[in-house]
Amino acid sequence: MKANFPTQPTAVVTRWLVRCQFIWRSSVMGSIRRSGSGLSIGIIAVLLLTGCANNIVVTGSVPTPLVKKIPAHIGIYYPQSFRTFRYEEKIARQGHWKVELGVQNLGFFRNLMGAMFATVDEVGEPPLAAAVQAGLDGVLVPEILKYAFLTPGISGLNFYSASIHYRLTLLDANGAKAAEWTVVGYGKSEAAAFGENAALAEATMLAIRDGGARIAVDLVKQQGVAQWLAALPGQTVPEASQPVSSAAESPEKS
Amino acid sequence: MSWRCDVSQSGFIATLPAIAGRARMPVLLGLALALGGCSATRVEESRQANTGMLTGESIVILGRSSYNDRETEESFTDCITSELSQGEGAIRLIPEQQFKDEMYPWFEPRYAPTSAADLEQLFAEPGVQARIDASQIRYLAWIEGDTVTTDKGGSMSCTITTFGGGCFGMTYWEEDASYEASIWDVQNLTAAGEISADANGTSYLAGLILPIPIMARPGNAACKALAEQLRSFLIDEDDDDQADERDE
Repeated sequence: MKANFPTQPTAVVTRWLVRCQFIWRSSVMGSIRRSGSGLSIGIIAVLLLTGCANNIVVTGSVPTPLVKKIPAHIGIYYPQSFRTFRYEEKIARQGHWKVELGVQNLGFFRNLMGAMFATVDEVGEPPLAAAVQAGLDGVLVPEILKYAFLTPGISGLNFYSASIHYRLTLLDANGAKAAEWTVVGYGKSEAAAFGENAALAEATMLAIRDGGARIAVDLVKQQGVAQWLAALPGQTVPEASQPVSSAAESPEKS
Repeated sequence: MSWRCDVSQSGFIATLPAIAGRARMPVLLGLALALGGCSATRVEESRQANTGMLTGESIVILGRSSYNDRETEESFTDCITSELSQGEGAIRLIPEQQFKDEMYPWFEPRYAPTSAADLEQLFAEPGVQARIDASQIRYLAWIEGDTVTTDKGGSMSCTITTFGGGCFGMTYWEEDASYEASIWDVQNLTAAGEISADANGTSYLAGLILPIPIMARPGNAACKALAEQLRSFLIDEDDDDQADERDE
């Protein structure tokens, strides 16, 4: 078994570690002043301080969706802010959090779009030159509008959660806006003693997966996208993939 | 219903008298040993269809995820997977993450089927049936439930100074583990049955200079009981059927 079930002592230890900044200030500094036993306490202090800075790099598998390809030659513009998205937040008594998710998110979207459309070209920022635009049925621009997370210390629940608000803008073959859709991906992961960074990284990865799943299944159902597909020359509108059920309500709140 | 003491603690428990002697708290220790470390487990099974597994066929253990504040712990599904894949009558399992990646996005929390009746529609999606066939998946087992703390009390304090340290006192907490496995036959696209396992137990943490845990681990007890019943559910009847066929 990878981890034991949460017990009271581990929860106590976790809470103790989460408040490490407080410990550093009140206890460790006091001990150094009182005893002057430098090196060992200094090492402990450095370790505690290192534990307070949460540098999280999101990684994970990049699955290829099992959906019917949209019969279109699409151009995708990934803005620089999307490619290198990074979130930073200082939370009182929770520490300093830096979440790097741009690289994983970009890799995920490249794979997703490649599986969803017949052909995909990465293009520059619209408006495109006439020669580039001429070969495309449309251009899709994904953006990250907002990223947020909750820790057990904030929510009072025994898991980390993350949400990502994506906006997808579809431009037609003439460069005019055909559709705009905001999608929220949500993920959560169990809190584990000494593993808060891994838990938040997993929650973020699950949020990317959830957003990707919505895009894979529901993009063709958006009104503007369906109209754009119907207007494509020589194309028939593909059947929208229907979810078999909605297993969980979308919280879209964090 | 069965009672079960967690024997994995026995090695540790054997060292307790020496510690207790030094700490001069034999009464407290005896009380902890008498009451702690045991779980009461109840397992129930409901069968809706015949089961059986041919050589090469596999099962996927899936934890039911949701967006509310409770969901099946990953450690529990890992435990079930570990129990089923080892020992006599080991069953071929497809790892949950591998399965979810191969079937993406159809087993993500938002789109995962909630009943066996959804399987027919799901299998009509492009590529889904082919991937199930390629992996020779015969059953999906959805695990739903969690372990909650139902009661807790006592107090313990620990002190660390430059001259030494120690703990004194006693705390306890009672946990209730309740899980259900729903088994779907993906060959026949039907629900094969349900198995539920409930376990509860009280754990103690005694402070006798050193903190001494006496853990009941009802989650672990429920895992082992559920895994054993699941193994029996999947393969025993087929053995009987095959025996009947041989007799005929």
